[in-house]
Amino acid sequence: MRTVFFASLRASSRRYVAAAIAVIVSVAFVVVIGVLISGARAGLMQSDGAPYRGADYVIDAPEGRPSPGPSCCPGTLNTSAAIELIERLGENASGLGRVALPAHDEGGAPLGSGDMRGETTVGPIATATEMRWQKLVSGRFPARMGEAVMHVWDAKAQDIAIGDRIRVGERATATDLEIVGFVESPTTWTQASMYVSWPQYLQWRDHATFHIGSVAVRGDVGRLPEGMAVHPAAEYVTESLARLNNGTDAFALMLLLFASVALFVSVLVVANTFSILFAQRLRDFALLRCVGATRRQVMGSVRREAAAVGLLASLAGTLVGVGLGYGLIPLINALAPRTPMGPPTMPTLWLLGGLAVGLMVTMAASWLPTRRVVRVSPLAALRPETTVDVHQTAGRVQLALSAFLLVTGPVQLGMAMIQGSTVLMVSGGAAMFAGVLLLGPAFVPALVRALGAPLGRYGRMAAENAARNPRRTAATMAALLVGVTLATAMLTGMATWRMAMDKHRDTRIPIDASLTLLNKPVTADLLDDVRRTPGVERAIAVDGTLARITGWDAPIPVLTTREAAQVARDGGAFAHQIEPGTIRLDHDAFRSPHKELNIKPGDRVTVRVGDRQVRLRAILLGGWGKAAMVAPETFAQLTDTSQPHVIWVRAAPGANWLELVDDLDGLADASGAVFEDRLQARAVGNRQLDILTWSALGLLGISVVIALIGIANTLGLSVLERAREHALLRALGLTRRQLRRMLAFEALLLSIMATLLGTAIGVGFAWVGYETFVKRALGEATMQVPWPALGVVFLIAALTGLLASILPARRAARVTPAGGLSLD
Amino acid sequence: MISRMTPGPPALPRSAMSAATQNAIHTTTAASARNLTKTFGRGEAEVHALRGIDLDLPRGRFTAIMGPSGSGKSTLMHCLAGLDQGSGGAVTVAGTDLGSLDDDALTIFRREHIGFVFQSFNLLPMLTASQNILLPLELAGRGIDDAARERARSLAEALGVSDRLAHLPAELSGGQQQRVAIARALLTQPDLLFADEPAGNLDSATAVEVLDHLRRAVRELGQTVVMVTHDQDAAKYADDVISMQDGRIV
Ligand SMILES: Nc1ncnc2c1ncn2[C@@H]1O[C@H](COP(=O)(O)OP(=O)(O)OP(=O)(O)O)[C@@H](O)[C@H]1O
Ligand SMILES: [Mg+2]
Repeated sequence: MRTVFFASLRASSRRYVAAAIAVIVSVAFVVVIGVLISGARAGLMQSDGAPYRGADYVIDAPEGRPSPGPSCCPGTLNTSAAIELIERLGENASGLGRVALPAHDEGGAPLGSGDMRGETTVGPIATATEMRWQKLVSGRFPARMGEAVMHVWDAKAQDIAIGDRIRVGERATATDLEIVGFVESPTTWTQASMYVSWPQYLQWRDHATFHIGSVAVRGDVGRLPEGMAVHPAAEYVTESLARLNNGTDAFALMLLLFASVALFVSVLVVANTFSILFAQRLRDFALLRCVGATRRQVMGSVRREAAAVGLLASLAGTLVGVGLGYGLIPLINALAPRTPMGPPTMPTLWLLGGLAVGLMVTMAASWLPTRRVVRVSPLAALRPETTVDVHQTAGRVQLALSAFLLVTGPVQLGMAMIQGSTVLMVSGGAAMFAGVLLLGPAFVPALVRALGAPLGRYGRMAAENAARNPRRTAATMAALLVGVTLATAMLTGMATWRMAMDKHRDTRIPIDASLTLLNKPVTADLLDDVRRTPGVERAIAVDGTLARITGWDAPIPVLTTREAAQVARDGGAFAHQIEPGTIRLDHDAFRSPHKELNIKPGDRVTVRVGDRQVRLRAILLGGWGKAAMVAPETFAQLTDTSQPHVIWVRAAPGANWLELVDDLDGLADASGAVFEDRLQARAVGNRQLDILTWSALGLLGISVVIALIGIANTLGLSVLERAREHALLRALGLTRRQLRRMLAFEALLLSIMATLLGTAIGVGFAWVGYETFVKRALGEATMQVPWPALGVVFLIAALTGLLASILPARRAARVTPAGGLSLD
Repeated sequence: MISRMTPGPPALPRSAMSAATQNAIHTTTAASARNLTKTFGRGEAEVHALRGIDLDLPRGRFTAIMGPSGSGKSTLMHCLAGLDQGSGGAVTVAGTDLGSLDDDALTIFRREHIGFVFQSFNLLPMLTASQNILLPLELAGRGIDDAARERARSLAEALGVSDRLAHLPAELSGGQQQRVAIARALLTQPDLLFADEPAGNLDSATAVEVLDHLRRAVRELGQTVVMVTHDQDAAKYADDVISMQDGRIV
């Protein structure tokens, strides 16, 4: 059989190209996902995971037990045990923590302004250079005691230059630190204002807020002290990220979805290719059986052919995937410069997985067609003309199966929506989609006729042509259907999710930056200056009055406004929708290392302005700064006069926010105002969202390519399969141009049908995903259907169909009638 | 009228094994059918292609089966060759009752005892002529040794296709394809060689060559050949003629 095997492989190589391409693409797809995820992980590792860069393990306090750390900071390590461990590991350990300390400049004046005036936070810098995670912007890292680097945002805000000296700590622990460099921290997790060497940091070990949250360790941990847990570094970062994303590892979900879709599509395309291929060779197999090949021999030969194709294509796919993945990362970085994708480590597991999956997909996809081939009777060789299509329409089993899937799929989807189960969502979606695909041959003819009828002579002819072999037509359509469904579901899901994430953040941080004047009203000049600052989109002055409130020992502005919508990210809801009788406080703004708002949500507080006082219920929200918000009615109870005390600023998108903060802080200093901003938090959040969005778009692009190849593939094969039929048409008087046009119309009809169907199913899936997943994670989400983007998908899909038909149609038209009729 | 060409082509190679096999079997019947019936379809669409055939095919002879179209010639041949099972009755080839064999056993039996030459589509399109000739050995998993190669080469030479051995079937004429098919059928020295309209697609001169080769296989190698045809001229090459009509031998 070896001769037969090799000869068959060689003889059908041109036709196997179709199957091979499908396998190559899906393997490449899996590998690209691996590389991109590895890149995105590296990107996130470089930002949020930066503190654990270069580390093999992370040690932290185990969850769910009484916190071993200092009372200030729950979830941190037992301080002396951690110090002991770090000393033992020496250069291979990097402690991560913070201490809040009083800080004064050289003249003895309190450092900084506003809330944190006279305060700074100090964190340690790793002893080993490779484990230092702070990004040096200028200057150098501290080399000895008495030196420190400062976070560049704080340095700008506090007008500190390299070479300045700062007195940190008080009394016995007071130390003069020379600023020798500026750093930027890629993450807010462990961020401090200043960083010093480890021995220097230990100097404040008895301070109330001194803590060590976790330890990054290079190499072996050795004996683990009591009350500590050890995690592999990469896992630790991923899990922490997942916890940040409301308990959902978005990557894992995306990975699952895309990998299964890629596999599904390729099984479809490969199975399709093989069944057409084998149908064409039915007579060969029959002849082999005549001259004495047993069923098992024929089956073995065919299986080996499939395995060879699968193996070669999988290898090629792996190479292509690695090349594409590594090529895409710089491209994504160039297109979205704020989205750093890191240099990926070679995802060995993905490569091997891709290879195995390619082989398995080919074998699985060839399994059914192979069985059919083997059932061929030797007599088939003797019939003058073997019919190529084994089944023309959907069989009864197929209809029953699709009915079963179309019932169980929606049931699973419904349960997924009720229970919020991602697994049920994916399995239900797959079942339903498979059901639609299986049902294809049953409804495709009617649909294609309905679509083709208004398209004139060619439309009708093409529709008749497509309707005549429903199975083939449905198969051709399937690849594009999958692609469009995926694209639509992804785009809709992403628009919904992104909108929800933005909204989620906007309600929590409605105001970008604020300037608060406690002792005098805001002047029109100051407001003008703020408005003129580059990077300010809008700014408004907010009326208020100074009040004293139980639970906080300093006067604070109490504000009311109807104009918040002009600057607030949440549309002003935080300021407008306040019930009379309540007071809203920004909990975070009142938190400092020394003191905290002594109010719990729902507490009754007394607010006093002059000699009037009102008892109000406290609502703790956040994101607008150190001021209380009340309803106008409440405000009127407190005072008759109101003056502007606060300026709220909305930053322009795309502006240099670092400079903006610097400029506004300058204005605040000059006018004696307190400046607060949430721009850094916003920038970091944007970066995370961008990484996810761009990875998703990258994956989407690949799935579109798969769909394109899939449809070109099946269309090409279907033309090949009908060569004799076309030759007959040509012999009967169809011109070349007419034949080409007919095929183009057919492709167009198919792609439009696939696109319409795919859009409907895709939006449906997105809705299920929204109900199951997004709405649960982010309560405020509303479903967003990005119609313009879907329009683009529609156009691309229709063009894809047309494009895919060009080559096969040309090939079909080139064959002379005589040549076509004598084809075997 | 057809005449033998002179000078004649080289003699067909007769191997030692062939002689030994022939001496070992003392029966004079290569194949026989007893009350063989074959019915296609059911009810309204029922067709009785064979209605009780009793037949003995003598060894070492060239038998032609003749009859009008639809008389059941091909069906009879398929049943005798183990390509199809009859609806009733028994078929015995080389002493083996074909009804007792399952598909695998039947396939192996075909491989070892029966050769085929069809009207068209005789050769696997992806194999060269020589690969096609050697295919039965390949399928049997027997090593293709020099002796087999030599035998294939001399068969090809005798049949006048030795200069076409490296060609694919698509590059051969119809007559050449048929001669390659005969070479393949003769390679294993089958007990029975079936030919269904072997010259049906060929012009008369080429047809003569092909028929002549079949007759020489009977004369020179002692092969048993059964040929289905409805061509009177072709039937003249045969030693015996069996006529069929409406599923019966007449
Ligand atoms: N697979 C089949 N299914 C149904 N009927 C069949 C089948 N094969 C043959 N027949 C019928 O059996 C009868 C005998 O057919 P067969 O092919 O043996 O005729 P034939 O003598 O070889 O004719 P021809 O000279 O045209 O080749 C015919 O009536 C034919 O229609
Ligand atoms: Mg016949």
